Amino acid sequence: MRNLIYLSLLLGNPLLAAPTFDATVKPIFAAKCASCHNEKVTLGKLSVESERTLLKGGETGPAILPGDAAKSLLIDKVVTRQMPPGKDKLTDVEIDRIREWINTGLPKIQEVAAEVSEHEVRGILQARCVLCHGSGRKEGGLDLRTVASRLKGGKSGPAIVPGKPDESLLLQRIVKGEMPPAKEAKALAVELATDAEAGKIRAWIAAGAKEADPKSISPDIVRESDKKFWSFQPPVAPAIPAVKNQALVRNSIDRFLLAKLESKNLTYNREASRLTLMRRLYLDLTGVPPTPSEVAEYEADVALNAYERLVDRLLASPRYGERWGQHWLDLAGYADSEGFGEHDGVRRYAWRYRDYVIRSLNADKPYAQFLTEQIAGDEVSNDWQNSKGPFSQQLIDRLAATGFLRTTPDPTNSNERGLIAERMNVLADEVEVLSSSVMGLTMGCARCHNHKYDPIPQRDYYRLSAILQGAYDPYEWRSPNKRELPLAMPDEIAEVEKANAPIEAEIKRLTDQIELISAPFKKEGVTYKRGELVKENPELKAKLDPLNKELGELRGKLKSKPHTRVLTDNLQPSQSYLLRRGDPVSFGEPVEPNIPQVLKHSSLKAYQPVAPYEGTSGRRLALAQWLTQPNHPLTARVAVNQMWMRHFGRGIVPTVANFGKSGLPPSHPELLDYLATQFVESGWSMKAMHRMMVTSQAYRQSSLATEAQIAADPENALLARMPLQRMDAESLYDSLLLVSSRLDNKAFGTPAEVRLTDDKEVLVKPGKDGYRRSIYTLHRRQTPVSLMDAFDQPSMTPNCTERRRSNVATQALHLFNGSMSWDLAKYMAGRIVDESGSDRARQIENLYLRAYSRKATAEEIKLSLDALQEFEKQWPERLKQDLSEAPHAAQAQWLALANLCHAILNSAEFSFID
Amino acid sequence: MNKTNRRDFFNSIANGLHGATLASLLASEARASGVYDLKPKSPHFAPKAKAVIQLFMNGGPSQVDLFDPKPTLTRLAGTAPSRELSFAISNGDKPGFLMPSPFEFKKHGKSGMDLSSAMPHLASCADDITVIRSMYGEHANHEPALFLMHSGRTIASRPAIGSWIAYGLGTENQNLPAYVVLDDPKGLPINGISNWQSAWLPPIYQGTRFRAEGAPVLNLEPRKEIPTPLVEAERNLLRKLDQAHQARRPYQPELDARISSYELAARMQMAASDALDVNQESEATREAYGLNDSATASYGKRCLMARRLVERGVRCVQLYIESQIFDSHDKLEDSLGYACKKTDQPVAALLKDLKQRGLLDSTLVVWGGEFGRLPMSQGTGKGAGRDHGPNGFSVWMAGAGLKRGHVHGATDDIGFKAEQDKVSVHDLHATILHLLGMNHRDLVYKRHGLEERLTDQFPARVVSEILA
Repeated sequence: MRNLIYLSLLLGNPLLAAPTFDATVKPIFAAKCASCHNEKVTLGKLSVESERTLLKGGETGPAILPGDAAKSLLIDKVVTRQMPPGKDKLTDVEIDRIREWINTGLPKIQEVAAEVSEHEVRGILQARCVLCHGSGRKEGGLDLRTVASRLKGGKSGPAIVPGKPDESLLLQRIVKGEMPPAKEAKALAVELATDAEAGKIRAWIAAGAKEADPKSISPDIVRESDKKFWSFQPPVAPAIPAVKNQALVRNSIDRFLLAKLESKNLTYNREASRLTLMRRLYLDLTGVPPTPSEVAEYEADVALNAYERLVDRLLASPRYGERWGQHWLDLAGYADSEGFGEHDGVRRYAWRYRDYVIRSLNADKPYAQFLTEQIAGDEVSNDWQNSKGPFSQQLIDRLAATGFLRTTPDPTNSNERGLIAERMNVLADEVEVLSSSVMGLTMGCARCHNHKYDPIPQRDYYRLSAILQGAYDPYEWRSPNKRELPLAMPDEIAEVEKANAPIEAEIKRLTDQIELISAPFKKEGVTYKRGELVKENPELKAKLDPLNKELGELRGKLKSKPHTRVLTDNLQPSQSYLLRRGDPVSFGEPVEPNIPQVLKHSSLKAYQPVAPYEGTSGRRLALAQWLTQPNHPLTARVAVNQMWMRHFGRGIVPTVANFGKSGLPPSHPELLDYLATQFVESGWSMKAMHRMMVTSQAYRQSSLATEAQIAADPENALLARMPLQRMDAESLYDSLLLVSSRLDNKAFGTPAEVRLTDDKEVLVKPGKDGYRRSIYTLHRRQTPVSLMDAFDQPSMTPNCTERRRSNVATQALHLFNGSMSWDLAKYMAGRIVDESGSDRARQIENLYLRAYSRKATAEEIKLSLDALQEFEKQWPERLKQDLSEAPHAAQAQWLALANLCHAILNSAEFSFID
Repeated sequence: MNKTNRRDFFNSIANGLHGATLASLLASEARASGVYDLKPKSPHFAPKAKAVIQLFMNGGPSQVDLFDPKPTLTRLAGTAPSRELSFAISNGDKPGFLMPSPFEFKKHGKSGMDLSSAMPHLASCADDITVIRSMYGEHANHEPALFLMHSGRTIASRPAIGSWIAYGLGTENQNLPAYVVLDDPKGLPINGISNWQSAWLPPIYQGTRFRAEGAPVLNLEPRKEIPTPLVEAERNLLRKLDQAHQARRPYQPELDARISSYELAARMQMAASDALDVNQESEATREAYGLNDSATASYGKRCLMARRLVERGVRCVQLYIESQIFDSHDKLEDSLGYACKKTDQPVAALLKDLKQRGLLDSTLVVWGGEFGRLPMSQGTGKGAGRDHGPNGFSVWMAGAGLKRGHVHGATDDIGFKAEQDKVSVHDLHATILHLLGMNHRDLVYKRHGLEERLTDQFPARVVSEILA
């Protein structure tokens, strides 16, 4: 055996000899990395020429972490094939050799003792100490935030002695494990400093406890040339192209689309039939099909502009806001629960944000204002702080609007789940919601490293994140239940007070009674804690216990005072840092709140936060103002593209949440810019955009496909026809209710509750007027309504910028075998009989109008009549068995019709939109 | 003809469309419009395993009491742990002292693997499993640790590994779901249904819960109040309506999918009921799985169902236990004993049954929880248990492509931290995918134009040391 090892050493077997830089990894680096990362060419400021340069690292931190290959950036880059660029990647064997060298071939980090910047020390202290020794609390008179305040120290003297770590109280306390005090730290969800962190503090003190060199902040790496990419340039109103077939042009949208189609010798499909178009428009704008009387009314309207007036009617309908509100809630990632653990705590007042969205859309609130309120409704004015109430709907709405940035799963109500890592996750999710829905940027990648494709350095991620850190301060965190304000409408407050008044009277009666019994036993001047008096006077127990029990029960019955969920800033937000590799306690350089630098443009006003009033930073308000500038490169484009996708089934930029280099380019760039500039010109009117889109000839096309069309444009990117689409989950649910006359039109307020059957099916609880629309139904993350869940209702993770749709068996099981559709079918059959009497043909006509928004053909009536006859034969036997009291023949007629309704509700024609 | 076109070609035959070219165009349109399916897909390379059974042991099974003997704990019993260890206790309790295992370790099988007396049945399978003793996680709380184990991140917003597998491979049996979850009738695990969510992967890849009691799938059976001949009559009418609807709308692949989904639903009623009907098994098999013993009957039934599902081509089966019975905060011997009693015999029976049927060569079994436990006591005396320990814990795997009777990696002397040949959760995921014939770097889903992976951007590696 010994000989074997000896032999291997002689042969230089890298698996047995201790790996060294020169022997093990230098040749690999020389071959694959050094051409871009050497002493002269240091892309990303990294050189791979020595151990020292690798330890020092580049822009994104040290390239290697001795002893821990898994946490070394270099391994990350080569394993994930980000590096080297090009085809000549590292082989698995090469990567394993580098791992081996990092894990075993280097001295441990403590011994390397790199220079520690004050930035890093401040970050560590901020994470571990500042909650009790900072802006708010100054335990022991100590503030650890700045070098000066550390030198000044507290009651026990200076916290640090430059050059003398062992004499520095700060370090002593940490190393001895006295600080942070374990018990209190747990209660405050603060974690202990690690040994490595203590080592860094030691090194910094030993080196003289110097302030950070302001020049040490590295310059930005975004270049002017990076800003040339189309989506980073402001949109400019394009010239409107000429087309050959003028007859097909209803507005400018058609010119842009036809110009491109004609250049490929294609043209629009023929126009869809009047009623097909009507059903499409209803489902698109209101989420439900027209009723038979609405169909009749429209058919009778023979004026030339009947369609345009229909568009106006639907945009003015309250159902428009309920339909398009759902689209916006998708972008925001709305849910009624916190989303963690078994309990999945319900967010009791999340619905105010939902209602705000619906009301805003129905009022056609300008998009710029809509965005501003959602990002910074609290910062627009401090009227809410100064007012004692009563509060207006407008004011509560403006504050509830900040619910946009309160949607993501948040486990931090529990201390154990409220550590810095979890807080940073909440913050990161909100950054993702904001950037994907409003900015069309995939910022998430830059949380851990510079963006691979887009000019978004990691620092820009933390700049954007710092804008939200004014409110979501990870070092001085407020959990969700500390982010509610006692604001509500006067009638809500009155309702609670009215409900509580008799209970409070009863409580008063009981407390008086208890006091009456207790008083003789109480010594003067003594305040008794709970239970103390009974302890001293056991004879009281029998009398007081039942009363106290009753009192407890009564208190439990009190309705809590209504609140509003609001996002507000901390008084003094902590310093934000670039976090290396996204690790919440690996502090890089400090960063200030700002927008991604690639979007800095000479024609745009700079991002400049100004506190609008004392107690808030103005960071979010400045973001909203920056985003809603008329020539912002992204805001209007992203918004109109989202609308376009909902109307036409596909975005002009198909990757609706990614307008960056890795996204797909726009199919019609000029059209996109035309719409974006029109949007701004219209005063950011969303309804104006809908009107323009749905009155175009493009929208009126038939969805019938031909072989030639598919061959010419398989993805239908050029829109030579409208797409055929299945209703989404909410549309299907709402439409089932509407056509069966079970839809309760009650709007707003606390959502309809759900219940769990013994089979674990989640069903909605109906009210006395039927079922409310899906948007007014509880969206608890752990109990999605089974039917909608099966039809691809998204789980908000953290939001949903684009729906997926499937056609799978579980959907058929729910719709065909589920209790809801059968109950609805029976109800529907009953109402059809009520309306149309016992004439089978009239019943069938009514059914077709309700479900398909069209008349049944003679052939279809025949098919249904035959089916009804067959169905009707089967029921009497069953009714006899069930000992049903009602007349069997009449009941069989009704149930047979229910079977027909059930089949129609299950048919493709009902749930697909032509 | 490349892979995609080939598949479309066969689809086109199956669907009676008009030639491969058109079918391929239609399929690309279907993908573009966001329509996905569960048809079997070729892996990246020849797979060792065709299916996975994940036995998820919620709560955090204690490595030092089950798989990772630590004589040092006996030697240092009753001494105080270091500062780092004492802070690891999470519930605000006073840190206890180093605590040896109440269970006895012995060597088992030809491999001489150390396993404790808490799992006597598993011990008889020592030569069939590979134990990884050097797992490490990122979080000491159940929720984030479960998310990590299931989806690769400690946050609630990523697809489960089962969804990735279904997305990558589709499934062999179109009458059954690709990814089945068998949860305990007594209650959901921590994080509930989020454990098998598809997140932003298309929803068809999310886990389908099969219930062990009653009808296996929600609404699998037609409404009882509708006479049976009527159900058939209604289906006939529906077929006529949908065929007429489709005939008026040619070249719409979604309508084909819609019609087949209704046909599949009717077939699934038969297939799922049959797959879960353990009464078809011999009495000897039922006995082996512990179906006749009230302690093991529940988990045993689900283990047996798992085998029947895998046998029928289901790609991924996940088994859960009632809430988190491995969370042995107190009364270590009793609570861990209870959890083992409930699961040990069924798990061993599953391994033996798979082996005997030749299925272990094409099935991967993964046993483990979200973390391990600490080497010191929580609480005192007889009531003492152990708190969560994410820094070092054990999982075991068995079956296709793995070494058998093998131990990989090691923790430190007291079993607190993984030390040697450490394996991250990402490494474990990469290894599972590898055994299924997929490279974790290449199992990619485009989201917002970017490439998403189960292993995200983490530097995961396949644990090649445990491969056969």
